[in-house]
Amino acid sequence: MIFSSITFLFYFLPIVLGIYYIVPNKFKNLVLLVASFIFYFFGEPVYVLLMAFSILIAYIFGILIDRFQETKYAKLFLIMGITISIGLLMYFKYANFIIQNINLWLNNKIDFIYVALPIGISFYTFQMLSYLIDVYNKKAKVQKNILKLAMYISLFPQLIAGPIVRYTTIDNQIDNRTHTIEKFSLGVRRFIIGLSKKVLIANVLGELANTFLTSNEMSILYYWLYAISAMLQIYFDFSGYSDMAIGLGKMFGFEFMENFNYPYIAKSITDFWRRWHISLGSWFRDYVYIPLGGNRTSKIKWLRNILIVWLLTGLWHGAAWNFVIWGLYFGIILIIEKLFLAKYLEKLPKILSHLYVLLLVMISFIIFNGENVTQILSRIGGLIGIGGIPIVSPESLYYLKSYFVVMVCGIIFATPLVKNIFLSTKKEKLKNVLEPIALVCLLILCTSYIVDGSFNPFLYFRF
Amino acid sequence: MNEKTKNKIITIGFIAILFSFLLANILKKDQAVSISERRKLAQFPTITLENIVNGKTFQEIDKYTVDQFISRDSFRSIKSIWSNYIFRQKDNNGLFLKDGCIYKIEYPLNEKNVQKTSNKIKNIYEKYLNSNMNVYYSLIPDKNYYLEGDHLKIDVDNMQSIMKNILPEMQYIDITDALSLDDYYKTDLHWKQENLGRVVSVLRDKMNLETTSNLDYQTETLGKFYGTYYGQLGIKVEPDVIKILTNDIIENSQVYNYEKTRNESVYNMEKWQTSSDKYDVYLSGATPLLTIENKNGPKGKELLLFRDSFGSSITPLLIENYEKITLIDSRYISTKILDNYINFKNQDVLFLYSTLIVNQNVLKD
Repeated sequence: MIFSSITFLFYFLPIVLGIYYIVPNKFKNLVLLVASFIFYFFGEPVYVLLMAFSILIAYIFGILIDRFQETKYAKLFLIMGITISIGLLMYFKYANFIIQNINLWLNNKIDFIYVALPIGISFYTFQMLSYLIDVYNKKAKVQKNILKLAMYISLFPQLIAGPIVRYTTIDNQIDNRTHTIEKFSLGVRRFIIGLSKKVLIANVLGELANTFLTSNEMSILYYWLYAISAMLQIYFDFSGYSDMAIGLGKMFGFEFMENFNYPYIAKSITDFWRRWHISLGSWFRDYVYIPLGGNRTSKIKWLRNILIVWLLTGLWHGAAWNFVIWGLYFGIILIIEKLFLAKYLEKLPKILSHLYVLLLVMISFIIFNGENVTQILSRIGGLIGIGGIPIVSPESLYYLKSYFVVMVCGIIFATPLVKNIFLSTKKEKLKNVLEPIALVCLLILCTSYIVDGSFNPFLYFRF
Repeated sequence: MNEKTKNKIITIGFIAILFSFLLANILKKDQAVSISERRKLAQFPTITLENIVNGKTFQEIDKYTVDQFISRDSFRSIKSIWSNYIFRQKDNNGLFLKDGCIYKIEYPLNEKNVQKTSNKIKNIYEKYLNSNMNVYYSLIPDKNYYLEGDHLKIDVDNMQSIMKNILPEMQYIDITDALSLDDYYKTDLHWKQENLGRVVSVLRDKMNLETTSNLDYQTETLGKFYGTYYGQLGIKVEPDVIKILTNDIIENSQVYNYEKTRNESVYNMEKWQTSSDKYDVYLSGATPLLTIENKNGPKGKELLLFRDSFGSSITPLLIENYEKITLIDSRYISTKILDNYINFKNQDVLFLYSTLIVNQNVLKD
């Protein structure tokens, strides 16, 4: 089930909210657990069993690690738990990629396995890993109630596209969370803003990106339109989903970590990754980069650590070489920045450092969306007219005019400009009147777009 | 209003909206069809274990909840208005409004489809026709062709060139200059029968037909016409008016519908009353095979008209030149079995298709 669907918005959500707030507190977690399984079952009727099995693994090994804490067995159980969790992820997500490359490089003919990627497996596997590692490191108390652990892992607001909520973040909230009108209304606001980002901007620009992909009439302008629209689409799609997840979390009394902080206003790629998919970046920092030694080691190992983290970050996004290239692309840029570029970037005029980030990120998403190296190079080359393509074609001009306002909206809302204007306006009474009206209008508008059955994929579901 | 009140309003308002729609959607009776969109609406799926396991049930439920959403047309209108007037998008799901007229983008020219359609026509020629027959073909431009500005439209000139290359045995009749934007409905893709005088003149001239009645018709206005694009766009515009041209020849002509195996009238008033597409009044709308007989027409003169829906409204204006016109809509009948119904001899033959049909390659083999 996806958040931006009628089924979720006007059937699932009101029913779950209704039951959740009617039942006594002691049953609220159970309601969320059942709702989360139904939510997942709707999208993955078979793989719901896989998720249940994964939860069982996390539960058993969590208990074992805790039970044998201070003994050599704790580490053994940690390794076993991690191995099984990553093993499942490897099988369902990477097996065919590995087979494909073995066949390619070793001239073997191993048959592909016929498995579909379970939705959200990368997200919930990482949550389980953080739980097991934190229990082992005594940063988290073991959860002895399997229903509560299952509720944490399967919690539907963040189950299939994050943010990657760590157990330590909501450990206390599982038993002691507060429900207030203020928190609920903040959740509603956040949810509707996220829904609007997704439905009104990401989906609309996604149509433009898709139109480009099916067109034969290429021009430099069209390549730029594609690159910019794809860049905006992925941001509004993913950050919109995170906003909805955080908003829903608040409606059910939870506080999740922020996942985006206006990444397109970053002044360096280092800064960009502090603002983009924060929960994933901090996960890799805490569970891979620092355990590998981080930067408190020799320069060579430090650089190795960075490349390992970014190779894994790339692979986390997908089992294909373009994701590997994408991850290493950022790893190399980050190394260059850390070694010498950062000090120059600081001295650059703001506009130039912003352009530097936007250009590199735009190219990164061309790599991200590319199917093969030839296509990626041709799309990057298309931006500067390689291949003798015209500067403008009638089709590209038409779509520039057609999507100009949405793109401008996307650019404006990708910055904190509107938020800052709203916050700095002193007319509190007026703001308090306008805010509910704006939210209702946005909800109705989003509903209209969904009812019209427009383009509505969630890009991050595939991870 | 203070912060607390605002929070209460947002919370209560949100819950009220969700539950209102939940209840309204549950209580609302499901609709079988959408008249405005001219399509069947998804119904609640039959639930089977197999469909649950393969996820089909849930996909169908998603379609059902969208299709059966309360006030669906109003919501679609809101989207359309926002897209058109706020986002200033040049089209909404491929449709756009200009000067009170609705257009649908058909773009780009699909050369492969044009070639395929041309080859299907060529196959008919090779199988059934011969050089002793007068064989013509013509293209009806979609109305975007006449629209000024930067709108995306099919390259009709290129389409003509492709077809001329593949169909050298046939004579092409260019009717593009005989039409203008005013000759099409504002809310529909079709042309207006009452404006086809110039097209009929060009056809008569090129097909060497005698003008017997000087196109003398009585015009009868049937009523308002909300065309196909009207419901699809979702923005309210002034409806069109459907008119029919008639005279003694048309009134006395006999129509036989092979699919229904019955005689019908040239203008089907039952369709006018009941059909969701009022354009069906012309020769009963989409029909694979029809004949129109004009007993007082030139003896032995027959026309085989391979056509799409545009052919329904122009055919009555050609009947005076023939004793019999056979209309073949090969979107609905395989051309392989035509000789079961038609005795190919020395008829005139006209392939008359809109550019939309040619570009989409929807004719059957």
